[in-house]
Amino acid sequence: MSGSAWALSLAGVLIAGLAVALHRHRRERARLRGRLESAASELQKLQIAFSRFAPDAVIERIIASGQEQVGEKKEVTVLFADLVGFTALCEKLEPPVLVGILNGYFERMSQAISAHRGRISTFIGDGILALFGALEPNPWQGDDGVRAALAMRRAVSEYNEELRARGLPELAVGIGLHRGTGIAGLVGSRDLMEFAFVGRTVNVAARVQDLTRHFDTDIILTETLRKTLDPRIRVVPLPATPVKGVAEPLSIYAVERVEEAECDRE
Amino acid sequence: MALMREIEWESCLLPPVPAPELQRRFQREVGRPGTAIRYFADNPWAAEVLIRLSVEMENRVELDAELADLVTLVVSQEASCRYCFAAMRTLLRVLGMPEARIARLEQDLMTADLNERERGALEFARRLARSNPLIRASDLEALRRLGYSELEIDELVAATALNVFFNRLSTLCALPPFRMEELPDRWYMRMFRPLVAMKLRKLRRHTELEPLRPEEREGPFSPVVVALDGLPAARALHSVLEGMWASPTLPRRVKALVFAVVARALGCDRSEAEATRLLLEDGLAREEIDQALAHLASPALDPVERIAVPFARETVWYQPAQIQRHGRQVLETLSREQFIELVTVAALANVVCRLGFTWGARG
Repeated sequence: MSGSAWALSLAGVLIAGLAVALHRHRRERARLRGRLESAASELQKLQIAFSRFAPDAVIERIIASGQEQVGEKKEVTVLFADLVGFTALCEKLEPPVLVGILNGYFERMSQAISAHRGRISTFIGDGILALFGALEPNPWQGDDGVRAALAMRRAVSEYNEELRARGLPELAVGIGLHRGTGIAGLVGSRDLMEFAFVGRTVNVAARVQDLTRHFDTDIILTETLRKTLDPRIRVVPLPATPVKGVAEPLSIYAVERVEEAECDRE
Repeated sequence: MALMREIEWESCLLPPVPAPELQRRFQREVGRPGTAIRYFADNPWAAEVLIRLSVEMENRVELDAELADLVTLVVSQEASCRYCFAAMRTLLRVLGMPEARIARLEQDLMTADLNERERGALEFARRLARSNPLIRASDLEALRRLGYSELEIDELVAATALNVFFNRLSTLCALPPFRMEELPDRWYMRMFRPLVAMKLRKLRRHTELEPLRPEEREGPFSPVVVALDGLPAARALHSVLEGMWASPTLPRRVKALVFAVVARALGCDRSEAEATRLLLEDGLAREEIDQALAHLASPALDPVERIAVPFARETVWYQPAQIQRHGRQVLETLSREQFIELVTVAALANVVCRLGFTWGARG
């Protein structure tokens, strides 16, 4: 074989080798890009999931400061809801049926709360802790909280019709509302953190909710909240009642309805 | 674009109406097809605003054009505006930005390949668009430290404000983003991309400073306009605000109420005080204003105001589908012309009240 033929063959082999290397490189790059996009997509999902638990501003402050201890004092309206007689229900029903009823209830309550700009902070067993004004400034948080409670009353009533038709036991809900200051922020352990509102306001809302059984009514709110409410929200005073953690007996009210024309709101 | 495409979005509230004359005017003045104007053609003032502010979206004095585009992308994402995001994504793809870079920007501003200066500007734009809490004059210091001139900062503020406006206008009417979201991946877009890019680059206008005339420094909310003095956007903002108060479709009192409610929601005291001043001039008593703002209702409000006031509150922070459904209910009660005016006023109120930090920035 002549020298030029050797050179041509060598060049051919080199080009072929180069083409194979290039092809492999491209394939590797595509594979890495695919992995990167998949990782990015996972990250997106995590971000979306995280944003359901903490407001964007909190997430950004954590990222910017590198610290997890982010919290601020806020005035918030707290709604605490609990199912009446749920323990007895637990003993009567098969677990899958019970879970189905409970999920249907939570779904309807979540809708009623979010439709009025509330955010569910946590589910505690069959209880719901919802906040109004914790994430963004909300000058109408008191009205929103009470309207959410009334929407929950309606939703439970509609759900009960459905349960009755299916031959299942009906639900009764007790709701307590209070307005006050507390600390909103990320709390928990390194393994489990959540965006929460902590302070006496939450305890008072929970205690007021307990009083719904005592007064045989479904929605009770405190005087502090009532003072901020739209006068069209009709409430009935209940006897001042001592509650744990509060020095003086608490002035409380049962919520009746909102008096408004069809075109007004909702 | 998984994130934006996952946002729930209602069908369009306003079927487009034929408006060939307006479309031609839009094409002539803005330089690109004005298909969106067909949705607003029933309200002459709103159509005028759309043209006027679309022109300003293309004007730059000193701010880098690519940065301004990124502001649009980031602010549209912040506002969950699928329509504006899709439009800007298409534009950036046509101008040659790789999809991967757009995706990284969409996924996370913090890890996207931006330099510190760009990231600082985009973070500022996003915070201004969100306004929770409101921007303060001191927040501009960070931009100065990054080397932005006062003029560039003003332009950044104006560019963000324009996007706040267009995001709301598009979202409140649920303008359809679906075709636009597919557009960059169409074969014909890929084939003709260089030609389209050339055409689009020509639209970018470098403009000179244009100080406001004395009469443009007067009128309701003029301190916000004056704060942007020199930018063509200031003149445009003055003009659309004047047109808004003068437009006969909705009374001035309804518009002032919308401004007052948006100001209350955002916590912008100066904007609320200005809107209250207008409401007092228009015959509402102080107690009636207080009640309307405290509870978004008052016996003193007329039927249109009773609809406009709670709706205005929803336009500050929202989930698109939720406010679009509310908008559909509003549209059942108002005429189409009134509805277009209401959403345009609400969008402007969100701009002006978010710029509350600029009050008194310039004499």
